[in-house]
Amino acid sequence: MRIIEIEGLRKSYRVYQKREGLMASLKGIFHREYREVQAVKGIDLTVDEGEFVAFLGPNGAGKTTTLKLLSGVINPTSGTARVMGFVPWKRDNEYRRRFALVMGQKNQLWWDLPAQESFRLHQQIYRIAPSDYDRTLGELTELLSIGKLLRQPVRELSLGERMKMELTAALLHSPQVLFLDEPTIGLDVIAQHNIQQFLRHFQEVRRTTILLTSHYMKDVAALCRRVVIIAQGEIKYDGSLSGIVDRFSGHKVITLQFAEDEPPREADLVRYGQVLEVQPPRAKLRIARAEVPRVLADVLARYTVEDVAVEDRPLEEVIAEMFAQSETRSD
Amino acid sequence: MNQRPAYGAIFLTFVRNSLMRDMSFRTNFVIECISSLSWAAMNLGFYLLIFQYTDEIGQGSGWGKHEFFVFLATSMLVNSLVQTFFMPNCEELSELIRSGGLDFALLKPIDTQFLVSLQKSDWSSLSNFLLGLGLLGYSQWQLATRATDPLTFGPVALLLYPVYVLCGVVILYSLMIALSATSIWMGRNQTLYDFWFYITNFSRYPMEIYEGTWGSPLRWAFTYMVPVLVVVNVPARVMVQPLRGENAFLALFALAATVASLAASRWIFRRALESYRSASS
Amino acid sequence: MVGRVITWWTILRICLEERLVYRGDFALGTLMRFLPIVTQIFLWSAVFTARDWRPLQGYGYEQFVAYYLLTMVSRAFSSMPGLASGIAGQIRQGEIKKYLIQPVDLIGFLLLTRVAHKAAYYSVAIAPFALVFFLCRSYFGDLPDHAATHSLTTAAAFVVALVMSFLLGFFLETSLGLVGFWFLEVNSLLFVYMLMNFFLSGHMFPLDMLPEPWRTIVELCPLQYLAYFPVAVFLGKFQGGELARALLVEFAWLAFFVALSRILYWRGVKRYSGYGG
Repeated sequence: MRIIEIEGLRKSYRVYQKREGLMASLKGIFHREYREVQAVKGIDLTVDEGEFVAFLGPNGAGKTTTLKLLSGVINPTSGTARVMGFVPWKRDNEYRRRFALVMGQKNQLWWDLPAQESFRLHQQIYRIAPSDYDRTLGELTELLSIGKLLRQPVRELSLGERMKMELTAALLHSPQVLFLDEPTIGLDVIAQHNIQQFLRHFQEVRRTTILLTSHYMKDVAALCRRVVIIAQGEIKYDGSLSGIVDRFSGHKVITLQFAEDEPPREADLVRYGQVLEVQPPRAKLRIARAEVPRVLADVLARYTVEDVAVEDRPLEEVIAEMFAQSETRSD
Repeated sequence: MNQRPAYGAIFLTFVRNSLMRDMSFRTNFVIECISSLSWAAMNLGFYLLIFQYTDEIGQGSGWGKHEFFVFLATSMLVNSLVQTFFMPNCEELSELIRSGGLDFALLKPIDTQFLVSLQKSDWSSLSNFLLGLGLLGYSQWQLATRATDPLTFGPVALLLYPVYVLCGVVILYSLMIALSATSIWMGRNQTLYDFWFYITNFSRYPMEIYEGTWGSPLRWAFTYMVPVLVVVNVPARVMVQPLRGENAFLALFALAATVASLAASRWIFRRALESYRSASS
Repeated sequence: MVGRVITWWTILRICLEERLVYRGDFALGTLMRFLPIVTQIFLWSAVFTARDWRPLQGYGYEQFVAYYLLTMVSRAFSSMPGLASGIAGQIRQGEIKKYLIQPVDLIGFLLLTRVAHKAAYYSVAIAPFALVFFLCRSYFGDLPDHAATHSLTTAAAFVVALVMSFLLGFFLETSLGLVGFWFLEVNSLLFVYMLMNFFLSGHMFPLDMLPEPWRTIVELCPLQYLAYFPVAVFLGKFQGGELARALLVEFAWLAFFVALSRILYWRGVKRYSGYGG
């Protein structure tokens, strides 16, 4: 069942220019120059209930803006969107009680009070029945292992612990849709891992529809099957993770280990393709896909090879290249 | 699950949380109480000094020493309530807008203006409220027990007084929140905030002092256009002057002004929200 | 020398630009500083009306207005927003270290930036000031013969008093801020200072109005030089020998605070370094 439907969503901003110099500042009192920045340039997307979708993209791609549009925090310039049948920017109280937004490194809990006091406030605001509240809080406390931390003032918690509190607060009212904006940013590896585990488990059990934005591959790889790549306000790709490499990468990486007494030098290998690394007895080459069989055959014939590995390029590289390409294309 | 938000319970939780927070910084709380009390005391001293040189403020205005102190006490009551319940929030609103923290307020399934206006309270400002009550009691007693022309006031005055104090609080709040909301359009807003102080400064004196070529138009403007003069003048008059003639008219007007101010501030707030751009992540 | 001038000019320019970045801010801000005086003037007008316009402690109504307008000028010179708290903050954050390592004198640097700041601000703000004074020139009409409007000596003395009040305000607040070497939280101290400053410097009312014993107490304090004294000079409250003596006393206070800030700085730095950074 479709739970999120977005059509032709656009959002542009006016950014005021400030120019250098005294005269320019004085002139600025009377007349300001601005330019239009298009944060989101026409997005079409549908998400079914229970899906876990990742938005990947470089900074400034429009991922956060899209989430904010879907949360009703900002109004679009044009286009439509419906989440659970509601138009987000109308900000119906009914809608707001059914979803949650968590933003990485942004804190909405009361800084000087223990988290549980903020949770109690949440209970009042969302009108959560006491039995539901106790049950959900108990579950979340256990899953996230935050029992001892509930009574500590939030300012005394570490970044990872605070993130867990934010997540708890967001899930107390059992939202049907969860938006996560860079939830693991700034956290250490262990904390990131914990949160990823938690999210995966939670989603499997509760079947919440989750939209996650990140620029960490690990988040995405660990959690989602469906990846939407956004760059410069547009969707560049929408499908599975493995599909990205197939679609966008025209190269493979071959790692060769030569038998010791006759390793070829860089100059010898260059004719096959791009040499990434030469550390005798190993060498790494970047070869166009179509060339792989021919190159392998040639190398194996010419040299004594102890070990061969043929791999896809790392996903990060593929994506980074894709972002860079689309940037140059639009210039 | 189709329930309306429980605004009463939510407000109580806000108030409770703020009290807990203030109590956890006890020394600071005490220092803040002492600070606001000393400020009020110095102010009182200033007026005591003035009354060394004159018997009343304005000729035939009716604001002699103790009447004026009733006025001053009323000013303390109104301002301490505004400072306790609304000032911390309106100050923070500009910061929320600038940092994008307003996003979180917009996510909650309750009225945004309610949330943003009441979430924090500054309990140390209530110390001035107590001082105001004390001053009010003392001055009223002086007025009621003086030898010449003692003041009489009945239950009507006692009933209307808190009503008009609350009206004054609402008017000042409306002005404050409207100004804070404009930081959505105008960015950093220290000037606007100072503006509030300058404008409400006019409300701290009896309206009779505004006369003459410059004074009368000011008096009119600040009564009928931006009704700050209504804030302290009306409740104070209710206490020390009979409810007749101009006083009765002003009292009725004050009620209308309160409703209108609140409506205007709400309109401005909603327009501002429509233009909200959030902060870049 | 040229280098110094260039640095000065850059600081000035940057200060001004910073001021002008938020255009709405600046346009309104300067004029609005005069608003509190408006209510004060109405208040005093009401007081004078009740007194049938008899002069009050040597001030007629017009002189009262002139007094308030002039305190705007003396406060423009002597107010040092953020100076004391800035110093205390820097000490608390440990930023003082950079002054100990570099051959830069903290106090001298702060003084220069203040001068630049005020020059920058008032070079633009002088327009609204001039406008207000021009519109209110009638209030300066009826001053005694030795007031600055009639006497060049008094005018010169006024300028001298102003410059000294700028320096006095600076070194006084610097001393307060330097107390931060000994006490982490100087905010309470600063609050008391601000409170005293607001009510007892002549900012709220001419100090002549105070009855004894308050009058004498306040006259022994340096706070009067921050608002009241230059204005009193301008209005001709001091003549001849009295004037010279009063200026000397102001100078003595100034010298005292210069010395105090130096001593506090020197001892504070010693104490600070003693902790081994």
